[in-house]
Amino acid sequence: MDLPCGTRNYDYARDMAVLRTRTHWALFIALLVIVFTAPLYLSRSSLSIANLIGITIIAVTGLNILIGYCGQLSIGHAGFMAVGAYTTAIFTSKLGIPFPISLICSGLSAGLIGIIFGLPSVRVKGFYLAITTIAAQFIIIWVINHWGSATGGFVGISVPTASIGGLEFDTDARQFYLIMVVTSLCLFFAKSIARGRIGRAFVAIRDNDLAAQVMGINLTYYKLLAFFIGCFLAGIAGALFAHWVGFMNAESFTLTDSILFIGMVVIGGLGTTIGPILGVVAIRVLQDRLIYFSPALESAFPALPSGFTVGIGPIVFGLVIILFLILEPRGLAHRWMLFKAAYRLWPFSY
Amino acid sequence: MKVKCTWIIAAVTLALILLSLPLLSACASPQAKPGQVLKIGMINPATGPAAEKGRVMMAANVDGVKYINDELGGAAGYQIEVQALDSNYDTAKVVTIVKKLMDDGCILFTTAASAEMSAAKDAANKAGFPGISCFSSPSLYRPPAHIYGQTPDYGDDALAFANYYMKNIWKGQGKPKFALHLLSNPTGYGARDAFKAKADELGIEVVSIDEHKDTTISEMESLTRIKGKNPDVLYISSTPKPASIIIKNARELGLYPGITIGVCHAGLTKALIDLGGSDVVEGVYGTYPTVLWGDDVPGMTKMIEYCKKYRPEYEGNADYMGSWAQSLIVAEALKLAVKNAGYDMLAKGDAASWKTVESQGIQKLNGYDVGGLHGPVSYTPGDNRLDKFNRVYKIVGGKIAQPSAWVEAPLVKYEQYDWFGK
Repeated sequence: MDLPCGTRNYDYARDMAVLRTRTHWALFIALLVIVFTAPLYLSRSSLSIANLIGITIIAVTGLNILIGYCGQLSIGHAGFMAVGAYTTAIFTSKLGIPFPISLICSGLSAGLIGIIFGLPSVRVKGFYLAITTIAAQFIIIWVINHWGSATGGFVGISVPTASIGGLEFDTDARQFYLIMVVTSLCLFFAKSIARGRIGRAFVAIRDNDLAAQVMGINLTYYKLLAFFIGCFLAGIAGALFAHWVGFMNAESFTLTDSILFIGMVVIGGLGTTIGPILGVVAIRVLQDRLIYFSPALESAFPALPSGFTVGIGPIVFGLVIILFLILEPRGLAHRWMLFKAAYRLWPFSY
Repeated sequence: MKVKCTWIIAAVTLALILLSLPLLSACASPQAKPGQVLKIGMINPATGPAAEKGRVMMAANVDGVKYINDELGGAAGYQIEVQALDSNYDTAKVVTIVKKLMDDGCILFTTAASAEMSAAKDAANKAGFPGISCFSSPSLYRPPAHIYGQTPDYGDDALAFANYYMKNIWKGQGKPKFALHLLSNPTGYGARDAFKAKADELGIEVVSIDEHKDTTISEMESLTRIKGKNPDVLYISSTPKPASIIIKNARELGLYPGITIGVCHAGLTKALIDLGGSDVVEGVYGTYPTVLWGDDVPGMTKMIEYCKKYRPEYEGNADYMGSWAQSLIVAEALKLAVKNAGYDMLAKGDAASWKTVESQGIQKLNGYDVGGLHGPVSYTPGDNRLDKFNRVYKIVGGKIAQPSAWVEAPLVKYEQYDWFGK
């Protein structure tokens, strides 16, 4: 990592630290204060959006490990999220298993299913792998819809409020704290993975899998590990989603969501830790604004035929992706890096 | 003395007038002060996979409220302020929208689709925030809580059609074979639950249950399987786009004509004819809870006037009628709530206001006539369906025609069945 002029590391521990300067610590503490006091000044709906953002960040971080770091294209991530969501729903509502255990089990079950659908990655890659992960999306949803005795089938399933040791996360504010804590842990986990031996192996596979194999990296092991970690995080996100939404059916996990997640990774910046956060925030906020946009446009232009805004959501989303691919293919994360670089040199940018 | 007497009479009269003023004002309609409005939220899938219905319904909701505000002076003298929001038919989005409406001081909310209300009901029921869904499914309000159905649900549709079929179409021996093609959401499973509960009682046999997504582009595979079962009836509980594809595929396979096809009220609209083609959907039956466009009922003239003026392209679309009626019902519920509890109880837009609008408004609806556009609207304790009447129609010459008599949909207590909701 680049450091401000005059800042040096004198030991490996400091060199590996995530937060290395006083400014880092000050900004980190300020961020924590802002985030954890948010329920005091945010409305219920804003908290609700923040909760959805937190959950999506976890899922997209998992996808980023898979696509951004390891180069394994997956178009079935919402399906893996569904596995986690239904695991916690069944565990907590039907088996009475405590939430913390069901949360971990949700991640593990999604991770294991991810390994199964990741097996083709050993032999195929690129678009071929993408097709096999689309199959995961359809197969998982089909099983959910038809395993009615456990999942509630098409009707759906009610999910009890998450609770830990008698503390019920029954309001948006309480859910916010739960989701933010889990999101922070997941981000720290993802950052640690990315910076370590495993992360370097993933990047080597992404850049040139043949070269990576020649260097002694076990492709099968690391590719399946990437699927496990990516889907584990999707499962955790799914479990939180289930407890947040309270009632769900398979319609909550569509192929469109899977594609949306890829869009978020692309817009945020592939292969960076900050990318998923920026991508998710940008897209979710954009989506939130769009609920007003279509009715407002229709009212503003009564002369135009009604319904001209029908495809406005996908159009705006598609346009944003196209613009990013053309103008900033490295995503918002790169913009953030440029900003940080400029800040470090300021006011002597040359 | 005479002058003094006149003064005394004048003074007494003035005093009496002054004393009676508060009494008179109490009897008159409340007068809204500037800024005093009744805030409501109306959610429609104006974009996304159900937009062919959602955009029409959103337009009708907004037009209906405009008519109430401009020509009827609002609800009990208070203007209705609408937050018309687009759900994109996305469950996660619906959850955040409902919470937004609660925050923004709305006192009730409506949805167009049962799938939207399915996503909203948990948050709404927990908070006690009352909602009315134009299209509904038994799972939304069985057992009843704070969610209401404007019209008979998809289960009622299925039973109304099956009853009609048995009485008017079926001429064979034994039990007719029904094949069900269901949208994979509450629209579909409402019908499935109804057949599951009442098939034996009706004397029909369900030979196959297939489901489809709202994004389907071909159902040749499922229909080939269905054809192998040799059904007498194909019942489609879905929205117009998938329903039109299924009917088109059924024709291509030679399955239809030769069998009877019925669709639920989510599918039986002008959009079905436009998307499928009038020759393709000719002869298809379906249920619908409203009268036909242009029928001679009191509420028709004003609705058509607004539709022609603001949305001429939606003329003849029954979805417009349903949502226009939804706005009228909401206004009536608000009017009753203001009358029974006073504006101040509703002004805050908090949990107490929600309880008031539900107990003093929605639950006080009794035989309210939506200008004859659909059946009378009443709340019956234990039954959150507000209108309970349906009709069976047939598509003839590219038009929805040949209405049957109104059929009252009996209450089915689905929660008493072990399998319901599992």
